[in-house]
Amino acid sequence: MFKKLVMAAPILAMMAGTAFAQDDYPSRSIRFIIGFGAGGNADTVARIIGEDMSKTLGQPVVVESKPGAGGNVASDFVSKAEPDGYTIQLMVGGHAVSAALYNEQPFDPIEDFTFVSTIGQFPFFVAARAGAFDSIEDLIAQAKAAPGTLKIGHSGVGSTQHLTGELMDMETGADFIHIPYKGGAAAATALLGGEVDVVIDTGTVVAPQAEGGEFDLLAVSSKDPWPTMSDVPSLSNTVAPGLDIVSWTGVGMPAGVDPAIVEKVRSAVHAALANPEVADRIVALGAFPKPNSGEEMGGMIEHQIAVWTAVVDAAGIEKN
Amino acid sequence: MAEQFFMGLSIVLQPEVLMYAFFGVLLGQVIGVLPGVGAITAISLLLPVTFYLDATTSVILLAGIYYGSQYGGAIASILLNLPGTPSSVVTCIEGYPLAQRGRAGFALLTTAISSFLGSMFGVAVVVLAAIPMAALALQFGAPEYTMLVALGLVAASLISSGSHLRAFAMAILGIALGMVGSDINTGQYRFVFVPDLADGISLVSLAMGLFGLSEIIRNASKTEPPKPHINLTLRDIFPNRAEMREMAAPILRGSGVGAFFGALPGTGAAISSFMAYALERRVSKTPEKFGTGHLPGLAAPEASNNAAAQTSFIPTLTLGIPGDAVMALIIGALILNGVVPGPRMIVDEPTLFWGVIASFFVGNIILLLINVPLVGIWVRLLSIPYYRLYPVIVLLICVGVYSLRSSVIDVALTLVFGLMGYVMKQFRFEPAPVLLGFVLGPMLEENFRRSMLLYSGDFSIFVTRPISGVLVACAVALIGFTVFSSIKARRKPNHS
Repeated sequence: MFKKLVMAAPILAMMAGTAFAQDDYPSRSIRFIIGFGAGGNADTVARIIGEDMSKTLGQPVVVESKPGAGGNVASDFVSKAEPDGYTIQLMVGGHAVSAALYNEQPFDPIEDFTFVSTIGQFPFFVAARAGAFDSIEDLIAQAKAAPGTLKIGHSGVGSTQHLTGELMDMETGADFIHIPYKGGAAAATALLGGEVDVVIDTGTVVAPQAEGGEFDLLAVSSKDPWPTMSDVPSLSNTVAPGLDIVSWTGVGMPAGVDPAIVEKVRSAVHAALANPEVADRIVALGAFPKPNSGEEMGGMIEHQIAVWTAVVDAAGIEKN
Repeated sequence: MAEQFFMGLSIVLQPEVLMYAFFGVLLGQVIGVLPGVGAITAISLLLPVTFYLDATTSVILLAGIYYGSQYGGAIASILLNLPGTPSSVVTCIEGYPLAQRGRAGFALLTTAISSFLGSMFGVAVVVLAAIPMAALALQFGAPEYTMLVALGLVAASLISSGSHLRAFAMAILGIALGMVGSDINTGQYRFVFVPDLADGISLVSLAMGLFGLSEIIRNASKTEPPKPHINLTLRDIFPNRAEMREMAAPILRGSGVGAFFGALPGTGAAISSFMAYALERRVSKTPEKFGTGHLPGLAAPEASNNAAAQTSFIPTLTLGIPGDAVMALIIGALILNGVVPGPRMIVDEPTLFWGVIASFFVGNIILLLINVPLVGIWVRLLSIPYYRLYPVIVLLICVGVYSLRSSVIDVALTLVFGLMGYVMKQFRFEPAPVLLGFVLGPMLEENFRRSMLLYSGDFSIFVTRPISGVLVACAVALIGFTVFSSIKARRKPNHS
């Protein structure tokens, strides 16, 4: 009898494990996977959010970096991880860009994931050296007058910054030369040194130089002027009606996670964003806190995949 | 200037700030010793801690980790031939032979002194010339970087102690390995067989394999030699008067080279040690001694990489532009503390700027003070028998390499490079040029192709732009001089 009980114990324990997993969750530390190396915005955002989520969930949220292939290495890893809620991912706008940029991804960017919530949204700014151009209209007019002479520096081939520049070309009919750099900081340095005429990047990269009087911010990529920088006109209201590019960070998981667990993680993310200290840090990093539902996040990603696929095809960017 | 510097000192010498400076450099030192685990890992882990500190203290802490790790990196290189960064590869070349001759203590202390003097030189440059140096750095565009790297390759092809042809072949091998990854202009994958390699082969896994691991394999395949007698008397460790004189000029030259290259965002720190080493070989009257534990070849690059570590803060602090991932994290800490990193920082946040610079001064003194007594403890590592020491080291290498990008492929590649390094050594091929090609090759390609894109394929820009033109002239003169002196040597066959 006793022997049988001993044998049954692990089975019972396993059954209990499945039955009550969502009640116990989380009973151990959670891996927070990021697809980029230390020193980038993604790493910093993950550490800010992860620290607050640890407090809400009562278990450590450990940031783990799996950089490579524009975030694809991390997405591949997460898509194949156990859907038990102990592996979550910091997703970025690049998730939608990669879907457009790669011929074959080892995962489905929509079906293989559970979307939890976005964290923040941020636009891109078109920056030039102070005084070089009167306005965004002036820049586009000069670019059209002398096609193939003005240069845009961006943070790398296939980056959202690069594709935003290509989209600006397509929508305005201007013809810029696009120069890839290794990261936004290198592109901003090139603009300071006069090697390129324009840089398209996030507020964290170009706004400090604008405040210091070195750069002019000519336009923003969101449909309307960005709330924290309301004096910068949008591309849509000036030279490219309808253009609307807003990138984002968010939290995802493998497909098939128990809805109760997803809900717990979502409320932890929302609780973090409701904490004014955390929200202030997200704003300091140039983003606008944007807690939402998984459906909204998934819908936005699907829309962006369609937009970027069209841009990649039209600009003739080679796919991998 | 002096007044502002003393104002900065008064901030750093507050007990709490001083404690963080001490903690930072100590942690950096420890992290630097561990194979593979770099300053970047430690800094990103500690980033959330800075939420609870003010901006100045945050940067003092994080910066301390960074330059503290420069001291630590040399220790593993000298004792175990384990380089974690491009600059410590150069330290291995002279430092490890010295340690094998039983002079590990001397090598460590010399390194600490050279590092300290190099750092002080770097700090002085930051204090006196931060703004003009930043302006000079902005004059460097893609053509200038192309020619700078080309000059570096030419100068450093003289780095090997063996035949130039063999060194050249190894540099080409390094360049080929550097080609793995994404093409800079199209994003297309080159020789990427697993997604882990989409961003290229990890420098740390190549360096750890070719140097440390191959040495372990080599030693494991022969009977353990008798331990060199470890003499730890002060007279043996401290450089004597003649040695002091021998290293004075190299330290000064190395510091100058490092201070200049460090101020160039991104490119500088990696290239500075190689350049300092190549320069010493060029000016030396006894170039044949290099590679055997020659003092100037150890002192100059150490002074150089530490000077560069200090001046690499120039673009970050004066322009608000991070040159590499470490600087990006420091900028991140500033942003999260509500400081706008940018050209106005010196004016708007003088206590931050001068406090951080004064902390470099204090931090380096702390580092020197903790390094001197530690020499004795580090050297005792060598008295552990190989069969106990090596398994631990191999494990640490694997953990360190894995920690960088959580990739098992990187660990496997480290083992492959270890075997490759062993075979290379058996056939007398030097590993240093491989690393050099690996670091400089992709930089050369990136900047050359960017130049072509920027100036519509016009080659003449390399000579018509003034700074680039001077660099080309230097490279040509160097090649000419080498060819000339080798012809001259051949005319006197009975000389050798």
